[in-house]
Amino acid sequence: MISRQTSLSKNIVQFCRFLRNRGFLLSAEEEATALQSLQFINYSERNIFKQALKAVLCRSLKELREFDKLFNEYWKELEKAIDSKVKTETKPIITQGTEDASFKALKSWLNGNQNIEKEETASYSIGENLSQKDFSAVPVDDLDDLMKSIKALSKRLSAQLNRRYTHSDKVHLPDLRRTLRKNMRHGGELFEIAFKKTKPKRTKLILLCDVSKSMDLYVAFLLQFMFAFQRVFGKIETFAFSTSLENITRLLGQHDFPTALGLLGSRNNNWSGGTKIGESLNDLVQKHARLLNKRTIVVIFSDGWDTGDIPFLERSMETIQRRSKKVIWLNPLAGYASYSPDVAGMQAALPFVDVFAPVHNLESLRKLGRWL
Amino acid sequence: MEKNSYKISLSDIKKMLDEQVYIADDGVCMSVFLSLQLNKPLLIEGPAGVGKTEIAKVMAKAMQTDLIRMQCYEGLDATHAIYEWNYQRQLLHLKMVEHSGQSVDEKEKTIFSQDFLMKRPLLQAITHHRKAVLLIDEVDRSDEEFESYLLEVLSDWQITIPETGTIKATHIPQVILTGNRTRELSEGLRRRCLYLYIDYPDFEKEWLIVKSKVPGIDQKLGVEICRFMQTLRNIKLEKPPGIAETLDWAMALSALHIDYLDKKTVEQTLGVVLKDWKDTRQVQMSLSELFESAGIKSKIDDL
Repeated sequence: MISRQTSLSKNIVQFCRFLRNRGFLLSAEEEATALQSLQFINYSERNIFKQALKAVLCRSLKELREFDKLFNEYWKELEKAIDSKVKTETKPIITQGTEDASFKALKSWLNGNQNIEKEETASYSIGENLSQKDFSAVPVDDLDDLMKSIKALSKRLSAQLNRRYTHSDKVHLPDLRRTLRKNMRHGGELFEIAFKKTKPKRTKLILLCDVSKSMDLYVAFLLQFMFAFQRVFGKIETFAFSTSLENITRLLGQHDFPTALGLLGSRNNNWSGGTKIGESLNDLVQKHARLLNKRTIVVIFSDGWDTGDIPFLERSMETIQRRSKKVIWLNPLAGYASYSPDVAGMQAALPFVDVFAPVHNLESLRKLGRWL
Repeated sequence: MEKNSYKISLSDIKKMLDEQVYIADDGVCMSVFLSLQLNKPLLIEGPAGVGKTEIAKVMAKAMQTDLIRMQCYEGLDATHAIYEWNYQRQLLHLKMVEHSGQSVDEKEKTIFSQDFLMKRPLLQAITHHRKAVLLIDEVDRSDEEFESYLLEVLSDWQITIPETGTIKATHIPQVILTGNRTRELSEGLRRRCLYLYIDYPDFEKEWLIVKSKVPGIDQKLGVEICRFMQTLRNIKLEKPPGIAETLDWAMALSALHIDYLDKKTVEQTLGVVLKDWKDTRQVQMSLSELFESAGIKSKIDDL
């Protein structure tokens, strides 16, 4: 799509279109700003020119990081065209979309799994079918779409959660009774007004994700969900556990997903190992006691396979339930028709769980909104 | 007209920042320069303690104007950000003119005038007597509703007060927004602004900053501190230390007349650098490795 343009401004406009093709969100307004900015700088100097366009055209960290490469790519291609005739035919640049790279980590993760069924791939049309599909059976080709859906879903879920308190528009309602009382000392002159407003009851969420071996097939999706959800919902603490508990809120918050995933994998050796749910939950009670209160909903993603101390698990669950508003246990295995929660760990935990539900596909994640 | 009053070049900006002892790379200079020239807000993101807020302060100083700061927090609403009527004063005024025989209309006019308006940062910034720098700090902490309101103000540069009408900006302020990426900001807000990301500085830049901000520091100590900080940021900490911590540490050690870094000193003063007990523990345990990878020779080890 790069054809040689003779004037600088035309080239810039074309460069913007090139960026747009690469996933940058640019409108005519940004193009205009870019052109405007030229009058202030010495654009014959390449570095300054690049810096200026970078400052004007990038809108996020992701775009900033990609910019240099794309800039070089574009102008190099352009220089090649300089010897050719003006109005040359369009020269397509073949580059694999950068988007793909970001899912590499996930794909390799999933590639290790044997559950991918080739025959199924052809018959599945993306869209509604995908939301019904078990996470463990998602063909690699559909990953992107699934991730997109997860992102969209988490946005919707958080909006749903937020709506509860944004609805009260009358923030400053005068409180007549308290006003009268307060102003007795001024001889009944209404000098100070007391206000009442609906108390913002912000629900806090604690997400706990089991990352032990038995959860391997689902972890990538759940992490993606937690990652996306954390981005859009403010009051959230995210933990991962296998034999011990780890707070990953910050880690997910400060990096983009592939980096976060890589970091998580590299820094934790007991991931994909055994499970000590009891000990991990006890960690939550002991070390993060301040997080638990009656406005907190605790969501646990786990299959309940536990190699630790079962009575201990029971005790921790009891404390958590007592101290929080609600405990939701989402079990990926519960999606199978024949499933019954007879694993020892699951059985021990069940009495202290308010909602027990499956979480094996998108549809089930969507239902999460109902219980929050 | 306003544009002409700020006829400055890119190199002027660099000089201005230099004069205010703010070590900035080309990207920062360009963003600041263009946001000044194009009259666009500048959105700065980056980890804590890398000097995002500092840019606004430095810009205000460099432009020799006032800095109006608005700290965002959850639940920030219009009355705290824009304006509020001074109810008590209105009431007192009415009491005083009770028997003056003014008509209701007249009274109403007086009590809903400028005198009774309490300006909050946003209104202050657009009605300031000269072009001010408006710093909207940690904008990602505010609620989404507030963000949309901000959008409106940032594009129209006017605020409507139901009782008196619309107030237009006398001078469009230079707006700096900062964020820690605790929440994804809306696309709309992003598009109104120029975007700048400031990361932790590399060794050279950090050493330069330390040198200029802590003038009396011993060369060896300073280099070692910066090396150590660089290594510290490479290991995964809950709260990685920013430049502010480096400077604090450098100042503390310099005040103690220490001229090289050893384990004991580090252990004793770690509280200046790390603010999370888990981090502290982690660093204490791996201190030797840290020293090694930072390339600092410990004198005790030599013995």
